[in-house]
Amino acid sequence: MRRLEYIGTTAAQGFWRNPVMSIASTFTIGLMLLLFAFFLATDRGLQAAVGVLESKVELAIFLEDNARVSDVLALRARIESDPAVSRVDYVTKDQAMARLVDIAARRPDIQIVDTSSNPLQDSLEIKLAHAQDAPRVAASLREEVGKGVVNDVVDNPQVVDKLLTITRVLSIGGVAVLAMMLIVALFVIVNTIRIAVHARRDEIEIMKLVGATDWFVRWPFILEGMLVGTLGALAATAVVLVAAGPVMGAMVNFIEILPLSFGTTFVWQLVGSVFALALAVGGGGAMLSVRTHLAK
Amino acid sequence: MVALLGRGNELITLDDVSKRYPNGTDALRDVDLEIDSGDFVFLVGSSGAGKSSLIRLLIREELPSSGRVWVDGQDVVRMRRSAVPKLRRRVGVVFQDFKLLPRKTVAENVGFALLVTGHSGDAVREETERALALVGLSQRREHFPDQLSGGEKQRTAIARALVSRPKILIADEPTGNLDPVTSWEIIKLLVRVNELGTTLLMATHNAEIVNALRRRVVHLDHGMVVRDEREGQYAA
Repeated sequence: MRRLEYIGTTAAQGFWRNPVMSIASTFTIGLMLLLFAFFLATDRGLQAAVGVLESKVELAIFLEDNARVSDVLALRARIESDPAVSRVDYVTKDQAMARLVDIAARRPDIQIVDTSSNPLQDSLEIKLAHAQDAPRVAASLREEVGKGVVNDVVDNPQVVDKLLTITRVLSIGGVAVLAMMLIVALFVIVNTIRIAVHARRDEIEIMKLVGATDWFVRWPFILEGMLVGTLGALAATAVVLVAAGPVMGAMVNFIEILPLSFGTTFVWQLVGSVFALALAVGGGGAMLSVRTHLAK
Repeated sequence: MVALLGRGNELITLDDVSKRYPNGTDALRDVDLEIDSGDFVFLVGSSGAGKSSLIRLLIREELPSSGRVWVDGQDVVRMRRSAVPKLRRRVGVVFQDFKLLPRKTVAENVGFALLVTGHSGDAVREETERALALVGLSQRREHFPDQLSGGEKQRTAIARALVSRPKILIADEPTGNLDPVTSWEIIKLLVRVNELGTTLLMATHNAEIVNALRRRVVHLDHGMVVRDEREGQYAA
């Protein structure tokens, strides 16, 4: 029990006896974690957006009213033979109208005033294995326009493409920024702990002399690093929770159609990830710092 | 060459030990030495003769360049790093500069050796009191090092070295910073510790003490054992 007390007290002393560096480390780790949390949340939002868009029809071919069924079936078979295509659905104009009526019932801004005639067309709805293949498949289908079967090709999922690009850029950029922040945070924490090690070098020398294990020497410093990490994580979490409401509001307004809601599970995962990273960086940085000293 | 399995009473064995530092200095050369359990041995020699290097090998602060070192039956050279703390708990060490922690009281300095090696609170208190009583510092237990005389500081250091009941006590120039009267007090304490059963190895320059005690003297010169006498004198 006294050992634990010693380890805990020494770690806390190490933090408070060197307040400037401790606060600087906490701030740096907090900032890194904030970026990390922002990155996770944005990534999650974009993934959800991509998922939603991908689950919708990626390409639609509107058919000529007088197209022969055999030609339509032949076209369908040809599209299905493309390895990039995962599914092709034939939607009659009646089915399309039923869908429209259904949507109108849930949207006060859409009203269907006349249901006696149906101006919609039969269509083929194509789902792709990967959204990024949409432009190629669309281009090849556009060549069919005007040959008696295909009236128009709608390639609305260009949005998916853009989202994919944004996600990719954000992933690469986010990882790069995070990696840099991680290095800065590690550098600051290693130096903070190094100062703590230097301040206690006589004590460490005596501990080693009387037979303390390396782990016993290490633990107060690791704990101090973890303390810095935890305080940084608390600060980052507090900022995230305070800022989450307004930021989400802005994002939902920005991407109106998407169901941008993270849910409790994701919030807990986010907080958990932030604390896990904080403890790993704090404890890991301290380990690095003490390792050089113990190796002597 | 020392027989590896000798008479069975050796606590320390150095077998053909040499130590060369990276800068090319030969600190120890072909040293053979056996110290029996219960011995009181003076290690003498001028500065740079290799006394401190030999001590550092015994507590495995350093490894020899060649040769073997056994302490309390353990091969110090080949032992795993994780086994070193246990070795050091069996070998108490005191230094010329005391190495006390200034922000800890006498009792805390002594108990520190047990606290950091995983002993319970009760064991720390009991053994600290015993060690303080042995060195005659029970009354000064709550004082800080800067409130102590040089002799008291060294007695605190000795109490800390003895608190874990080591088999061997190594004293590296323990009287180097003390006046003659205080030096004798420390020597008397070390003799008493030895009489209570702890093997003692003391590195010293103090010819007066060595000559008065007439114990075993191992003389090092340029890293070599040049003399090893049962009831020796400090001879230049």
